[in-house]
Amino acid sequence: MKRIFRDTCILFALAVLSVFAMSIIWVGMTDEIKLVLQLFILSFVIAFANYFLDEYTSLPMIGSYIVKYIAATVVVMLFGFIVGWFYRSNFWMAFIYVGIVLVMAYFIDAFKTKRDIDYINSRIRSKQK
Amino acid sequence: MKIEKRQVEGQPLTVIVEYPEWNNSVQSLIGKIEKMDLSFVGKSEDRAVSIGISEIYYIENVERKLFLYTKDEVFRLDGTMPDIESRIFDTGLVRISRTCIMNTDKLREIKQIRNSHLEAVLDNDEKLIVSRKYLPDIKKVFRKEGV
Repeated sequence: MKRIFRDTCILFALAVLSVFAMSIIWVGMTDEIKLVLQLFILSFVIAFANYFLDEYTSLPMIGSYIVKYIAATVVVMLFGFIVGWFYRSNFWMAFIYVGIVLVMAYFIDAFKTKRDIDYINSRIRSKQK
Repeated sequence: MKIEKRQVEGQPLTVIVEYPEWNNSVQSLIGKIEKMDLSFVGKSEDRAVSIGISEIYYIENVERKLFLYTKDEVFRLDGTMPDIESRIFDTGLVRISRTCIMNTDKLREIKQIRNSHLEAVLDNDEKLIVSRKYLPDIKKVFRKEGV
């Protein structure tokens, strides 16, 4: 199931990229295409920041997510102001958007970590038998 | 495949592979055996010692110096973490944090300790901190072994 979901995401990203690439050639840059490209750049910046946080910090899981929450919110806010997503009156929306994504990511990560540990320990036990 | 084992005293461990024709399976088998024979040259005081992969517990990078730990000895290693990593591909050695490579054959268990930190407990009761980022890599080693 996990593999199907991962392949779906990859296929979806490729479909979006090919459809939008064709649209840029035929129609030019529309607002929708611009938004998707902006989201792509934003995701890249956040993924880049997360990589460095994972590599160079050794915080507890919750602490690591709090730091990531702050970093991602700052990036989203700055990026949002630059590309015109937010105005002074609604910049707080960044906290909500980032918060929702990170809360989901936290629970998925916690579940996955526990499952991986159980798998590794069960393999060690079966090797020892 | 026929497997024959026999004890020959006074000889080093010898593996003879007989095959009707050379193919990918034979090549892969020999590659795996060669990986098992991988060794590192560790330095301790003035002597240089060849340390087989089966003796290694973990390799640690401390202030840009590499140290190799066996059950009860520590050796200094030349090279860098990327050098070591390029040699351990497809073996039981796996990176578990930015500064540490662990031998999964010596792993007794992985525990989630306070504040969701992960800890690897080795056969000799040593404890190493595991970064969550590298947990899937450890899992991959065990998954390969299970195939």
